[in-house]
Amino acid sequence: MNRSLRVLVVLPLYGGSLPIGRYCRNALASLGHAVETFEAPDFYGAFSALKGLRVTAERLDYLEQAFLQVVAQGVLAKAETFQPDLILAMAQAPLTRQVLKRLRQAGIPSVMWFVEDFRLFTYWESFAQYYDAFAVIQKEPLLSRLEGIGQKNALYLPLAADPDFHKPLTLTSVEKRQYGADLAFLGAGYPNRRVAFRELMEFGLKIWGSDWEGDEALSSRVQRGGERISPTDAVKIFNATAVNLNLHSSVTARELVSGGDFVNPRTFELAMCGAFQLVDERTLLPELFAPGELATFTDMAGLKESIRHFLAAPEERRAFAERARERALKEHTYQARMRALLSFLEDRLEGWPKPRQEGGAIETLPEAYRSEARELLATLGLTESAPFKDLVWALRAKAGKLTPVETAILFLDEWQKQYGTKQD
Amino acid sequence: MKPVLVTQLARFGDLVQTKRLLLGLRATGRAVYLLVDASLERLARLLYPWLDVHVINAHSPPDPLALRRALEDLSGKGFHRVYNLNFSGLNMATSTLFDPDIVRGYKLDQGQPVRDPWTGMALRWTGNRRLGALNLEDFWAGFVWPMAPGPEVNPDAVPKGGGLGVAMAGRHARRSLPPDMLASVVQAMLPMLDTPKIYLLGTAAERSAARELTVRLPPRVADTVVDLTGRTGWQELADTVAGLDRVLTPDTGVMHLAAHLGVPVTATFLSSAWCHETGPYGRGHTVWQAVHECAPCLESAPCPCGQACLEPFRRREFLRLVGGLEGGRFAGDPPPGLTGYHTDFDALGVTCKAFTGQDPGRGERLRVRGFIARHLGIEAGHAVPVAPDLAETLLADPDFMLHKHQTLLEIL
Repeated sequence: MNRSLRVLVVLPLYGGSLPIGRYCRNALASLGHAVETFEAPDFYGAFSALKGLRVTAERLDYLEQAFLQVVAQGVLAKAETFQPDLILAMAQAPLTRQVLKRLRQAGIPSVMWFVEDFRLFTYWESFAQYYDAFAVIQKEPLLSRLEGIGQKNALYLPLAADPDFHKPLTLTSVEKRQYGADLAFLGAGYPNRRVAFRELMEFGLKIWGSDWEGDEALSSRVQRGGERISPTDAVKIFNATAVNLNLHSSVTARELVSGGDFVNPRTFELAMCGAFQLVDERTLLPELFAPGELATFTDMAGLKESIRHFLAAPEERRAFAERARERALKEHTYQARMRALLSFLEDRLEGWPKPRQEGGAIETLPEAYRSEARELLATLGLTESAPFKDLVWALRAKAGKLTPVETAILFLDEWQKQYGTKQD
Repeated sequence: MKPVLVTQLARFGDLVQTKRLLLGLRATGRAVYLLVDASLERLARLLYPWLDVHVINAHSPPDPLALRRALEDLSGKGFHRVYNLNFSGLNMATSTLFDPDIVRGYKLDQGQPVRDPWTGMALRWTGNRRLGALNLEDFWAGFVWPMAPGPEVNPDAVPKGGGLGVAMAGRHARRSLPPDMLASVVQAMLPMLDTPKIYLLGTAAERSAARELTVRLPPRVADTVVDLTGRTGWQELADTVAGLDRVLTPDTGVMHLAAHLGVPVTATFLSSAWCHETGPYGRGHTVWQAVHECAPCLESAPCPCGQACLEPFRRREFLRLVGGLEGGRFAGDPPPGLTGYHTDFDALGVTCKAFTGQDPGRGERLRVRGFIARHLGIEAGHAVPVAPDLAETLLADPDFMLHKHQTLLEIL
């Protein structure tokens, strides 16, 4: 994709796909695209308040649905105003079928990056066909099933990490004590993890993250009372831990190491941080990381053996971590994923992106403004070839008072709209 | 004290109608700045010599360097408040030069166009323009509390002895009488004049209409015509209008200028013009308002009625009435579809009171004015019964459910 696009990223109200949406936003912006974000999390507080009403279940259902309709209408209004070339909806984005139909009628293509396990989150069955493309983190049988329900533009797009955020840190001794451990796990308390981790008490395991309530055996290991860990703290934990345990989730405890297909975001984030991890084998892992790049296990016996081994081998840990980081930097950034996604869309969506009608910002502006406009474009994260429309949009979105030059650019834009004449 | 700025980027008439607001601001003791289109700079200085006038090219191609300099200059003034009066993209863009918290009226805040509750309410009452109850000048004045006293804004209208001024057209053609009809009205008004002199006023664009009007007048009357269309600057126009007995005009900037100077106006309001919204400001003016069911209409929409509102202005009954104003000599009723109003004041501002013809909307107008007066904290509003139905129509839920800035109760 050589030209810059206008992309509206629709975030979910909350959840695991929220930070991923923000990484995508940053990646798209760093590629020179004009990105606008629909901040659904801003609505979450009001949405949660409905649950405090103490009304009948039917009434609560109605209110929640009505509330989400308003939020979805907000996305539609923003799309109609921003006129994006693309809407990138993260999993659980508040887009109703009705709004997706309206977007299609308006000729605004939408794609969802469904960064979830399709076996657990089954709503894709009714939603996928309303998107113009559907990116997923699993392959078969999901890709065939998507085609079966009419989604011809399904794309396998594995997760990634953000090198500007997930990076090696130099921690203070206090931080090392606070966030560090010989062995640690960060994530939610799924059944397989709850059972598996009881076998790891001897290694001084620390558990970070939520949904660990009611487990007496592990409660003493759960940090901060099981509160959600911010992405910033997560990076510190990854950096401060000798052996980061990465056991993919499973809703059953029949097999503690499930051997499933998709690779979770933690795998990429740990690798990008240059942190050592022990990760369970996944069917899709070998094409993402080579055996020498990640240390893996396939069962509990193997896991315990590896923990013992690597706790005693700091140099080996460092070598694995360096190789993993190198691979991640090379192939597994969100920038790379966004490039792949846009390239796929360009290939699949007929006539996309629509040819641009208006000129670039620099050539549209009077000579007297150009040098400042160049600086402005750089400050706003736009390329020099960004269209005038994108510069105007970015300036309008700025908070507080603008500089005289910025206001003058908005004024000239409005003058052109009103009188339909281009200024020399 | 920090100064205040009024941004008025609309046209001639709007600039004159900003007077009550500007007077209200002056009364606060703060320095008042005015930002207008460059074409109106001279006029602004004439009208308001006590103001600091700044200009930008809003309606002609902007000079990028001059625009930038003008904005830099304003940016450094440290305004306490900025009153941004027009709902236009240009005004929205201009508002970004200031901290959104200090801007009243219309503004752009982080890309979101926002309007004050007072402006929002005005949009609701103009949703049914037939009920349009508040003059635009009073609406703008409502941004500052207390409002400048309405009767003191312009002098009471008194003939000045210099003949009749005829404004050839407004910016909207459908609001104006065509030259043949205008010729009849001019002749009917001649007996009212101290001096048998007729000045045709307007821009160069109205010159052909002025010629056509002159041709249609009897030779003895045509000999008294001075065609000034396209031949006056702002100063000459103001000097001419200031000495007239009366100005015959549709809803034009010249009409508002005459009112500003205390020269009596005979205004013909038809099509989209509605005297209760934009009638002449001051005591002693006369408006002939077309009151057909479809009035006031939308100028931009094609007329489905064959411009029926023009017809009453041809009728003999009207011509008899329009010439019989002086000394209160009125002859009979106006033709159907036409009502004659005189301007006066109540506690809220200027009013149009019918002196001949039907005025079925009066009761509702008074109710709306009463509600608005109460809303503005004007005591006289409480003499009018409370109106829950109006409150429901004119106030939106967020106006009272959310903590919104109430411009109206701010004392500068």
